[in-house]
Amino acid sequence: MSDFSVSDVKAVASKGAAAMVHLEQELNDADAKLGDGDTGGMLARVINAIDGATIASQDDVGACFSAYARAAATATGSSLGTLFATALMTFAKETKGKPAVPVAELGRLLELARDAMMVRGGANLGDKTVLDAIDAVAQALEGVSDPAEAKVRAVKATADVLTEFRGRPNKIGRARMFADQTIGLDDPGMLAFAKLCEAVT
Amino acid sequence: MKKLMNAPGDFVDQALDGLTMANPSIVRDGENGRVVRRAEGARKGKVGVASGGGSGHLPLFTGYVGKGLLDTCSIGNVFEGPNVGSCMDAIKLADGDRGVLRLYGNYGGDRMNFDMAGEMLEDEIRTTTVLGTDDIASASPEESAKRRGVAGIVYAYKIAGAKAETGADLDEVTAAAAKAVAATRTIGVALAPCQVPGSAKPTFTLGEDEIEMGMGIHGEPGIWRNKLRSADEIAGEMLERLLAETPNGAGSEVSILVNGLGATPLEELFILFRHASQKLSTAGFSIVQPLVGNYVTSMEMAGASISLCFLDEELKSMLAAPANCPFWRVG
Repeated sequence: MSDFSVSDVKAVASKGAAAMVHLEQELNDADAKLGDGDTGGMLARVINAIDGATIASQDDVGACFSAYARAAATATGSSLGTLFATALMTFAKETKGKPAVPVAELGRLLELARDAMMVRGGANLGDKTVLDAIDAVAQALEGVSDPAEAKVRAVKATADVLTEFRGRPNKIGRARMFADQTIGLDDPGMLAFAKLCEAVT
Repeated sequence: MKKLMNAPGDFVDQALDGLTMANPSIVRDGENGRVVRRAEGARKGKVGVASGGGSGHLPLFTGYVGKGLLDTCSIGNVFEGPNVGSCMDAIKLADGDRGVLRLYGNYGGDRMNFDMAGEMLEDEIRTTTVLGTDDIASASPEESAKRRGVAGIVYAYKIAGAKAETGADLDEVTAAAAKAVAATRTIGVALAPCQVPGSAKPTFTLGEDEIEMGMGIHGEPGIWRNKLRSADEIAGEMLERLLAETPNGAGSEVSILVNGLGATPLEELFILFRHASQKLSTAGFSIVQPLVGNYVTSMEMAGASISLCFLDEELKSMLAAPANCPFWRVG
């Protein structure tokens, strides 16, 4: 069984920030088809703020996630950014005081984050949002303790969930009013999660 | 797209600096300076009215802070909701010990952040929430609670602000705001897009000869897109759609707001108003306190919205009550 520590979490944040350089416009373009076209720019700002956050303790994964949650919440007030902060706060509560967290815990952490985001945002599974992508990865990581296997499974799960939902309509937000027009398009939040998953693993 | 700015990252804060420097009746406050409040501060014994939303819509949101309107307003980046901290600051700075109405548009980010802020302050300050839901193009009548808030929210600001000035309690102010929202309908039309500062592209594209009916104030897709039509045809369809949703029990008096989205000349707004007022008259309505101008914009988006606020005696008197903010003076 493998664990992850503060340095691993920080490495993921840095990889995410680096990936946003080329993902920003792609995500903006995906969002422009369904919303106001700012998903990429907003996420870039949030992830850069996270990457630049000051971590009080190098021995407390929860403190690291907590600092990241505060950085995300301060960087934006957009819905996806707030949901991002909600997920990080959930991770922070669950890993508080732990110098290392088993990789096998990742699936459970994602499930808890998914549930907290559902309560905060009001979306349900199946609505074609980032929640469906998180749910897919949470399930794919169930019982997986090997980091290499976790990476492969997470990337495959997000690719599969994008394919699965591409042919479905968006059921929440303004896009639900034009549900037929959303068939064939990727949800920008789901796409962002998939792209970041690929970039940081 | 050309913009007068120094750096995209400074756009919001420098605009807020200029707004407050030009209008000494309002000041910046809050931990990150992302709250605009009345210069004299919260008045003890008066219910506070706090709002908030993304930048890029001036005079909405921060421009409506003033006597008889909002007490405070939190503001986010362009087209993004204010963050949780700013929402908390706006609530605290509006509090005069009789509670605070949170009055803002029905957008995911705004809602989540004001909800979180209210939860974090629930032991200190009693708050209530009313959401602006006037955009008839954003959901069917059966799902009207899911509609977004657009230009019609200024009616709710005016009416809630006036009610609070009367010394009404929080429940009464909340009820007045909710009544204003329930009485207001808006639809917009876009002719050309806007661009977020720092963004490489406009928020949407529209052909030179095209318009889109029902488009949202961030460029969200509308009901249809087609060739540009005459102003009378456009205003006629907008009125037809709005009047089709006349609230049950509505009287014969209505206020109309013909609102420019940022890049539409006032002349064009008055051409729309001319036809809309004729349609209202034909439909048996008399117009009270008409408003024509840029009240809720979307950067340099070209286009307009029309809002109708169907009035009863209470709404009419609250609409007529004195108010004064940098962009709207009544009485």
